[in-house]
This record gives sequence, C-alpha cells and structure tokens, in this order.
Amino acid sequence: MSRKPYQPPMPASWWLKHPAYRFYMLREATVVPLLFFVASLLYGLYALGQGEASWLHYLAWLQQPWVIALNSLALVASLFHAWTFFALFPQVMPLRFGSRTLPAWLMVSAQWAGVLLVILALWWLLGGVDAHQ
Amino acid sequence: MPTLEMRLQRYRPEQDSAPHWQDFRVEYDDSTSVLDALEQIKAEQDSSLSYRWSCRMAICGSCGIMVNGVPKLGCKTFLRDYPKGLQLAPLGNFPVEKDLIVDMSRFLEHLTAIKPYLIAEAAPQGQPHRQTPAQLARYKQFSNCINCGLCYAACPQFGLKPDFLGPAAIALAHRYNLDSRDSGKAERMAQLNSDNGVWGCTFVGYCSTVCPKGVDPAAAVNQGKIASTLDGVIQWFKPAKEPRNKEQSK
Repeated sequence: MSRKPYQPPMPASWWLKHPAYRFYMLREATVVPLLFFVASLLYGLYALGQGEASWLHYLAWLQQPWVIALNSLALVASLFHAWTFFALFPQVMPLRFGSRTLPAWLMVSAQWAGVLLVILALWWLLGGVDAHQ
Repeated sequence: MPTLEMRLQRYRPEQDSAPHWQDFRVEYDDSTSVLDALEQIKAEQDSSLSYRWSCRMAICGSCGIMVNGVPKLGCKTFLRDYPKGLQLAPLGNFPVEKDLIVDMSRFLEHLTAIKPYLIAEAAPQGQPHRQTPAQLARYKQFSNCINCGLCYAACPQFGLKPDFLGPAAIALAHRYNLDSRDSGKAERMAQLNSDNGVWGCTFVGYCSTVCPKGVDPAAAVNQGKIASTLDGVIQWFKPAKEPRNKEQSK
C-alpha cells in the first residue's frame, strides 16, 4: 500500500495565527527601536570627536520631536523586553536549595529590585553632577 | 441532549490532493470529550473517519489534535468548553497521513537520537541505584513527558526546520542528564550542542503552554543552553587528544 502524506505549508504569516506567537514576535521586535537608540548613541560619540560645533549640532538633533519619540519608544521597548526576560529567567536558571526551588515571583521581584537600585544610583550620580554646576 | 457543530479536517490520500473540511453535528453533555465525539461520529455518521487514540486518560499521548488551532489531547478536552463549536485538525507541523492522523516518525527519530534512557554504570555489588528526594526533584518534572507531540505542533522552529530536535526530545535529554544515576551526558551533548539542538530554540515558550503534563519543555531547552555553554567551555580547556564531540557526531 503506497503512502501519500500531506505536508502542511508553513506560510510567512505563521506568527499571526496565535496570540502566543504574536507576543513572541513583539518581544523580538523590540530590537528595532533599540537599533535606532544605539545608532543615535554612536552618532553622539562621533560628534563628540568632531569638536564643539558638531556636538552642539548633535544636541539640537536629539531634541527634535521625532528623535525624542523614537528614543522614548526604545525606552518602552527595552522595559517591555526586560519584563519578558525577567519573567523567563526562573525557567532558565531555577535556584534550588535541596529539593526546593526558589519561587519564581521572588526571582522576578529581585530582578526588578535590581533595576530600581540601578535607577536610584544613576539618579544619585546625575543629581550629584547638577549639584556641582 | 444538546448538540454541537464540529468541523473536521479530512484527508483521504487515495482520493485527495489536499485536505478539506467536513461538518458534523454531535450530541454532548458535560462529560463528552473531543475523543468521545470522534467515536460518536465514527460509530454513527462516518465510519471512514480516522484518528488515533488509546488510553482515554491523558497517559498514552496518542490523541493529540488541533482544537480550534490549539494543540490539545482529545481525551482531555471537553465539548462543554466550546459552546460556539469547534474545528478539529491533525497536529500541526507534522505530515498528515490520513484525516486526523499524522506521521510522527520525525519526532521519534529525534527522540531516539538523544538516547532517552538511563546510561548507567552497574550499581556497586548488585545493589539498586539509590537516589535522594533532592536528586529526584531535579529531574522529576521533565520525566512526566508522554511523547504526545503537542509541543512540536506548538513549536514554530520545528515547523520551519524539521531537523530541530524539538521540545520533547531535548526535555527528555535534559531529564536524563539531570538524573544522578545516569552517566550518559557526554553521549547526548554532541546532539544538544549542535545547531539542531538547544540552540535551534528561540524561546517562543508556547510548547510549555500547551504541554498537557506540566513538563515545561521550554525551561528544559533553555536550561540546556546553559549546560551546552558549560560543556563548550570545558571542551575549550580540555587537552586536544580526545576530540569527544567529533567522534560522537559521526
């Protein structure tokens, strides 16, 4: 008896089929606005090397509404990516003590506490700069 | 008794070049599973309908099926949860053999490749291998896999690249690698380290969502990435006289 299996196609739109796939693609797409952020950062470094006029031009460029909008989008995207990354972390690196595993919520909270610490440290550092001006 | 509309994907390899849909109406109550409904259709409406089943209690893993596009076990899915009707199709990402039956040989090949069994040295003086509750807890969750293939139907990476070992096979490899009685990790790492091993996974994570036994294969695969990285670092510092990976990938 001959066989004739049917191979279902995998269209390029496969990720539109289910919310889980769309969420995954959204998570992966966060790299796009981050690319813009990295490019503008490199542009800033380049401008710094070119002298004062170039640096001031860069600062003016940064203040344009569309640049602010794209960089804000990059911030939101990186926070969203961090949120998904933190949530996946307990699956990838479960912390075991004997036969018990540290609860996932504790690991996720600890990571957000770390973010808060970094923000506070930066705020303190930048505030320090302001105080000396 | 209330009735429900069911749309089934049919494929008769002798007559059809592609699958088509066929509508049925079945009687159901609160205890009617999708598998019960399929049996009702086969017994009373169309005896040519083909599907797989065996234990009817989510242990054998035979009745995997797409219910409204979501991989499910037919015996563990109930009509009462689908008041608007349901659409049944064979498990995604596998070649369809007939109607709701898929060819799972690709998955079984991947499963065989990672040696999903204890590779253990003999216990001392014929004694049983002892294991503490803590040692058992390390792998127990991953040992609940019933090889139903739902995670393969959920995995777009397997759909795009069928050579990818896939969630269940890697979870089983991880399960044995974590077992304190096993000493076969070195034999499995060549497979896991390859592009079709753990690194073929992009952590979509949907495999863990659809798993009917709470195995969390996505966790196993991504813990496997850490194991693979450590294995690579260890290989890096090992003397070159024993090219372990090359020998085993032959």
